[in-house]
Amino acid sequence: MIDCARCATPLEEGDLRCAVCALSVPDDVIPAVGERARVLRCTSCGAAIEFDPAHQAPACAFCRSVMAIEQPHDPIETARAYVPFLVERDVATSAARSWLRTRSWFAPATLHDEAVLESLTPVWWAAWIVDARAQVTWTADSDHGARRSAWAPHAGEVSLTFDRIVVPASRGLSPKETAQLVPFYDLGHAAPVDGTVIQVESFDAQRSAARAIIHAAIADRAQTAVEESIPGHRFRNVSVACLVERLTTDRVALPAWLLVYRFRGAAYRAIVHGQHPAVVVGRAPIDWGKVGRLAAVLLAIAALIALIVYWGRVDS
Amino acid sequence: MPTFACEQCGAHLAFDGVRTARCPYCASPSVVERQPSAEQPDPRFVVVFAGDAMGARRSLQHWLRSRHWFADPALRAARIEDLRGIYVPAYLYSAVAHADYTASIAEHYHEQEKRKRKDGTSETRTVTRTEYRPLAGRHVSYVTDVVVSASRGLSHGELAGIEPFDFRQMRRYNPVLVSGWIAEEFARPLDECRVASQREALEEVGARLRRFMPGDGFSDLDWRAEIVWESLDPVLVPVWMFAVRYRGDRPPLRVAINGQTGEIAGKVPVSWPRIIAALVVLAAIGLAIFWWWRTAP
Repeated sequence: MIDCARCATPLEEGDLRCAVCALSVPDDVIPAVGERARVLRCTSCGAAIEFDPAHQAPACAFCRSVMAIEQPHDPIETARAYVPFLVERDVATSAARSWLRTRSWFAPATLHDEAVLESLTPVWWAAWIVDARAQVTWTADSDHGARRSAWAPHAGEVSLTFDRIVVPASRGLSPKETAQLVPFYDLGHAAPVDGTVIQVESFDAQRSAARAIIHAAIADRAQTAVEESIPGHRFRNVSVACLVERLTTDRVALPAWLLVYRFRGAAYRAIVHGQHPAVVVGRAPIDWGKVGRLAAVLLAIAALIALIVYWGRVDS
Repeated sequence: MPTFACEQCGAHLAFDGVRTARCPYCASPSVVERQPSAEQPDPRFVVVFAGDAMGARRSLQHWLRSRHWFADPALRAARIEDLRGIYVPAYLYSAVAHADYTASIAEHYHEQEKRKRKDGTSETRTVTRTEYRPLAGRHVSYVTDVVVSASRGLSHGELAGIEPFDFRQMRRYNPVLVSGWIAEEFARPLDECRVASQREALEEVGARLRRFMPGDGFSDLDWRAEIVWESLDPVLVPVWMFAVRYRGDRPPLRVAINGQTGEIAGKVPVSWPRIIAALVVLAAIGLAIFWWWRTAP
């Protein structure tokens, strides 16, 4: 495997161009000997062949054979390593139970007693682990150096290193859910996926699309990371432009228990972390009766205050 | 003009600005093979056609029928006369751009302003004012997927009209990919295409810089970009070219269709009688309103 000459990102087999900076990969061209007009022939019947858009390959009009040629290499990605489960099923079940018990005041009081655990499935969700360096230029408005306006413009340049950041590739889990799960994984102990029979969520993205997502995620991180370099206490209008270099990605499968429970006929979902049972994310039903009563009480208090104020005015 | 013998029947084939030909005697498709030179490089990559001629014809018919009201009505009934699938030569350019800029950034602030009314009382109101602060800095980025036409037949503007192409789907050049289609030779000099690419890359940098500026606005943006690490790859992109005859006395309308995405671009001729009719109707409505306004009590 060689690195891109322009941005030092490792190139993968079949790449025609670098996915980060678009520099074309050098290839060994065998120069033609002599000049001639060639008729390209079908390997099975010898008739002239033409490129056929329907097959996306050259096809013979006579014997209907399609010539096998190099196709664009853009495979669906698969996980190369997985992070093992450290939470057993019964631990996950009791974690889910205690999570149901400790829901907010707005959840129905009987949630824990009435909820029926319908299923608890182990899943490995897909994520990219990314290392990269980036030269980032930024602009922003901040309160530092402000004169009459509350804002003053600032610009700067910073080199950032992204070390093993996790970019979720999951379609099944929402970005909010994955963001809560990610900090608790021990990525140091990933095992290679070879022959291990585990149900890994597919990456659902081709390699080229994946690189675009990762590139965007890096730019997104850069936007948050430059906030430290902005002088002052408050800022707005942060823009970044960056040159990403040495982008390497690893595809991993991360463990989680997917819990589906039923409460009064409706199904709800929660996710128990596969390595830390204390981390449970999910949605609990809301008791609208409670919300309504609270709103009524708040309204009554507001009305009472208004009345007191009014009386005070009338008396004076 | 280079001529080669047909491998099938030996007839002389003329290759006038193209690298493919079909023998008029035996219908065999030939592709030229030769040592690439600076003037006529071999294409490195090809974006292949995604659909066939029938599909292109159908989408063109749909396009002709769905033109705006001012388009020449003869277009609806136009005959699609000539249809060709052409691999158009182009250069795919990418580079790294380092730009240094200076600008005046507008920052709004609010001020209380006292004003005397006509009757002598005064009022205070809030007005928004702007202060300009100087800003200087750098902007770095990759500029990728810039495409410039190296064709004599299809101008850069016409090609830009049917962009973008999805270069993730492109392939390494192989003569079988263009066999049976028209593949034009690289006709514009590399240096001319490099200059055109640089111009387009700089335009892109300028557009990015305008989005990059903080504040509530800006003025006097001045920038200078250094372009390094340029790469230019000769590519062939798929284009359907149509000649549409819609009136006997007018030259046919030229329409280009992106052979990969189906994007269509063409300069639609307008119908002057329709424009005049619209103006007359507008004037009539205006007069009617004027008349009603004058006679109303």
